Amino acid sequence: MIAILPTLAEPQQFSLPEKLLFAALVLASAWAFWLRFSIVLHKILQSKKDSNFHLFPIAKRIRDFVSEVLFQSKVIRQRPAAGLAHAFVFWAFLAFALVTLNHCARVFGLGFLSPAAPIGRFYFYFAAVFAAACAIGILALFIRRFFLRPKWLGQKLSWESGFIALLIFALMATYLAAFFVPSTGPQIRILWWLHTLSLLIFLPIIPHTKHLHLLLSPFTVFLSRGSFSQIPPLAGDEDFGLITGQDLTQLVSLQAYSCVECGRCTEHCPAANTGKLLNPKEIILGVRAYLNDLGPQSDQPLLGKYNSQQAVFQCTTCGACEFQCPVGIEHLPILIGLRRGAVNTGAWEDDHGSKLFLNLERGSNALGISPIERDKFIERQQLPLFDGTQEYCLWLGCMGGYDPKGREIIADFARIMRFLGTSYGVLRKEKCTGDPVRRLGNDLLFQQLSESNLEALAQNKVKKIITICPHCVRTIQEDWKEYGTPPEIEHHSEFLARFAHKLPSKISPGAPGPSLLGTRDEPALSSQSPNSGPGEKKIVFHDPCYLGRYRNVYEEPRAVAALAGSLVEAPRNHDRSFCCGAGGGLAFLGEETGERVSHVRTAELVATGAQTIATACPFCNSMFRDALSSTSEPAPQLLDIAQLAARSLPKQ
Amino acid sequence: MSGILVVIEQRPGKPANAQIARISWEALAAAERLGPPASVTAVVLGANTESAASEVAARAQGEVIRVEHPLLAPYAAEAFIASLHQLIQSEAPTYVVLPHTYQVRDYAPAIAARFGQVLIGDVTAITSAENQPPIFTRQLMQGRLNGNYRPTGSGPCFVSVQAGAFPAVTAPDATQAAISTFTPAIDAAQIRTRPGAPFRAAAQAVDLSAAQIIVSVGRGIRAEENIPIVQELATALGAELAASRPICDSGWLPLDRQVGSSGQTVAPKLYIAAGISGAIQHLVGMKASQCIVAINRDPSAPIFEVADYGIVGDLMEVVPALTEAVKAAKQ
Amino acid sequence: MKIIVAIKQVPDRDAPVHIDAAGKWIEEADLEYTLNEPDAYALEEALQLRDLHGGEVIVLSAGPDRVATTIREALAKGADRGLHILADDLASRDAFGVASLLAAVIKQENPDLILTGLQSEDLGLGQTGVIVAELLGLPHATLILHVEKTDTGIEVKRELEEGWFQTIQLPTPAVLTIQSGGSKLRYATLMGIKRAKMKEVKQLAAADLAPAAAPTVVLEQLSLPTKKISTQMLTGTPKEVAATLVEKLRTEAHVL
Repeated sequence: MIAILPTLAEPQQFSLPEKLLFAALVLASAWAFWLRFSIVLHKILQSKKDSNFHLFPIAKRIRDFVSEVLFQSKVIRQRPAAGLAHAFVFWAFLAFALVTLNHCARVFGLGFLSPAAPIGRFYFYFAAVFAAACAIGILALFIRRFFLRPKWLGQKLSWESGFIALLIFALMATYLAAFFVPSTGPQIRILWWLHTLSLLIFLPIIPHTKHLHLLLSPFTVFLSRGSFSQIPPLAGDEDFGLITGQDLTQLVSLQAYSCVECGRCTEHCPAANTGKLLNPKEIILGVRAYLNDLGPQSDQPLLGKYNSQQAVFQCTTCGACEFQCPVGIEHLPILIGLRRGAVNTGAWEDDHGSKLFLNLERGSNALGISPIERDKFIERQQLPLFDGTQEYCLWLGCMGGYDPKGREIIADFARIMRFLGTSYGVLRKEKCTGDPVRRLGNDLLFQQLSESNLEALAQNKVKKIITICPHCVRTIQEDWKEYGTPPEIEHHSEFLARFAHKLPSKISPGAPGPSLLGTRDEPALSSQSPNSGPGEKKIVFHDPCYLGRYRNVYEEPRAVAALAGSLVEAPRNHDRSFCCGAGGGLAFLGEETGERVSHVRTAELVATGAQTIATACPFCNSMFRDALSSTSEPAPQLLDIAQLAARSLPKQ
Repeated sequence: MSGILVVIEQRPGKPANAQIARISWEALAAAERLGPPASVTAVVLGANTESAASEVAARAQGEVIRVEHPLLAPYAAEAFIASLHQLIQSEAPTYVVLPHTYQVRDYAPAIAARFGQVLIGDVTAITSAENQPPIFTRQLMQGRLNGNYRPTGSGPCFVSVQAGAFPAVTAPDATQAAISTFTPAIDAAQIRTRPGAPFRAAAQAVDLSAAQIIVSVGRGIRAEENIPIVQELATALGAELAASRPICDSGWLPLDRQVGSSGQTVAPKLYIAAGISGAIQHLVGMKASQCIVAINRDPSAPIFEVADYGIVGDLMEVVPALTEAVKAAKQ
Repeated sequence: MKIIVAIKQVPDRDAPVHIDAAGKWIEEADLEYTLNEPDAYALEEALQLRDLHGGEVIVLSAGPDRVATTIREALAKGADRGLHILADDLASRDAFGVASLLAAVIKQENPDLILTGLQSEDLGLGQTGVIVAELLGLPHATLILHVEKTDTGIEVKRELEEGWFQTIQLPTPAVLTIQSGGSKLRYATLMGIKRAKMKEVKQLAAADLAPAAAPTVVLEQLSLPTKKISTQMLTGTPKEVAATLVEKLRTEAHVL
């Protein structure tokens, strides 16, 4: 069978001038490559060491490497068509490693793969399959970039990308063509030289362009910080975050040079999508430009010419950028690092931000409300105080303790816990977990709040915490680790899903309940009103960033919401969910520029036609409530999954 | 040493028969708890105190002293301290009672100190028993505690009384108290401070944070055409008009009138929330108000939790009635 | 400009208030302490003056050991050095006694300006600044929202009642008591806290400054206010509730 297939032709002999010319070209190409690459390498290596970096445990690194680099999982998953085209190019490159080596070795008669020998013959066919796929792939990518022009690739056409595509296509075409020419004669010689020239031109272009990701991103992926949105501890007394080039660590520099400018981060960024200044891709490129111009030893500020402070403080820390970055860039430690630099030195001046910080310096909650109000709520709801005998400590959080709507969620969740016979108690005193100040980069306040809370929890002998707020969950479980050992913590969606089978399932069919919005003086959605729950009501669940991307909990809240009706999905759901606009401390930072993130997301949820919007985060809830109240049309009900679950409980 | 001096505070720029601040009548009443009304001497300080003194004489039962000197107007702390120091030395009263006003807070502690005493300030109640020195009650810890104070010094006892704590004295029948004049020895060189004329904050952009009274409107107003209803109440009260976010979002009122987490934070003396349910974003912007009135159709609206006075009803009916009541009360 | 800011450590305003067994003060065991808010504004005003005109900001506070944390906090916000009058018996001194301690230290330092908060959030006496001025023989002004340096001294914006203000010129040295809200407070920063550790805090013994004299006013008894504020719901026809409300706003709430 193999016999009927054409054989790869190779020039048989190379003359001395040819050998010399080839050697000279290779040297020139390598020299041009190294000229730039050595600078990049130097800048990365000269950057500050990552003090908390540990190579071990290495298993996860290997897993991620295999999945994200070798199998291109992130590239394909987020943009399947373009991703697959890219994957073929990548795989062809891998397959071509041996072919290219053999190709060059051949000049000096050192070829190790022979088209005639079975192994060589097989390998060349193998590579040819990839070459064909690659040629088609690169052609498709070329058409996409230059004719379809998706907006996240930027306004400006990248001619270098076009040229690179041409070179890759030439490499593949010249390889494939060699199967169809005789191994003697000028044709193969021309093909061989074209292939060689394409290769030698390609090599020096790599470090000069975003194609540097070819070389760096495998390392970037392998050398990640270890987990999503991991904020590194400050190292020593003089580390206040990312202020100047001297604060850029090797990982940050490596990541900055790895960016392939695909724009996936920007495509998903809630700020960039609503007319804000922030564009996560430009943040990374800003750091790269800084490194190019000034280098990692510079004492020039990072914020100013290269990146804007305003942009950095527009981030909701939803993590969509970092979550799907195909080359392993960790945007959140960089964005939050820049915020830390500005806040820890007092350079950030913002009326709302200062008010939030002062509220938490002096008081116990981000809202600046007296804790006496929390005491009153606990008394009114007859919530038991935690005394060490109960199974769970029910953490109210700022929203659960003070926000009228958050309190309704707590009240309903407490009803469910009572119904299930789960013992729980609330702390007499509770402070903000520090989530908003952590994300805004105020390390002083965050340390004070986490230490004070950790101490209170230890004193009360709390073993397990349960809360309605994904921000509290994340902060307690992950961020507090910097200052102690937090108790076990669970989000109420996880708890409710576990006991879903014990909750009265399905609701008696009935007439649709009155829409609560627009029928009152103000759209006060109170839990007393949703008294009817028709069986086939459509419910759309909004994935909170801090539950989904941050905690990988997607199905549990859906299982709970499904108790009350049939689920529909918003266009952006699960790990692609679009932020409500509240995260990263932004719930406290006053009016946004451009469109409101919450309005965009609310419109998307309303457009599903669902009668109920289900949330699992009191911040999302509060943002949507606000957004819904500014429309005068009849809007869907807005309920937390705990409220949905509580509706089917027997009346007490 | 005997007798009680009461320092009367005037309000410049008022008509001749109403120059005396209401709190001064209350101070006079408080003084009468410390001794027989006849032993209470009212003191009026100024550069031209004739009409003020006669206004006081109509209500006081004891004497009235005019402390008159050109340097006593406009108010300067050093002139007041020196004059009152001389007067108290000459009168040697047991008690000096003052209204607890901004002006008194500026000079009274210094006079007390000059006598080696400490002012008992902002007193809300006076309890006296037979043969016992009186006990003065004042608030501590931002009003969360009451403290009973007993003077133990040997000099005159200085007391300032809180506005509204004592019912003001009313005019006794036709008896006009005797008026005498005291001329303090002060000269211009003693007064090192140069006070300027009072002014109001320039009315440029809307600064809700400086407003004393705010009428705030929410979605209960239902339509833009209804805004004048609350505007009229605001005008009647001399208040600023404000709104919750949906109202500003709809463009019914400009954004700079928005109260709440994304708007302004306010702490007026009186905050009237009309048709506002009380979302947390709104509450954090106004919870520090001294007195909150909530008008809402929904009796379970969270705004009632923070309100001092609540009215369940349609703002379209309640607000016009309130406007009328305010106008009637002002006449 | 050399500015002394007299600050006070007070129980957190949200702290639970429990009267102690003797009924003379509150239980201190459960309290958290913080910088008195009007003093925070006084400090902010001082820092802004220094940032503009140069000089030095010194914070001065009297009290037991725990006061040191509040002094550090002020240093973290930008004050240059601290003076701590160590005194465990402040409760037995009246406002005159405390002011005497402060005045004794201020005299030694000979500053251009002395700032302090209008009043404290715990005792709320609002006298200390004025008495200090009296003891030092300096001119003073109270309820100040803003301070500006002039060729001959300072010019201040003073709050009067009912929304009126006044400008006053004073020669220096002078004592000012600062009203809350005149400027925007800065937040504490990690860098500030770390730098503050290197700043000097001098401790002074109260007994060496001014002998504890017998107070002329004694706090005899503390009690909780009898009526707790709760929402009063007014009912009736719109006309009736309107009339009732206006009456209550005048006579009960004193806001009209």
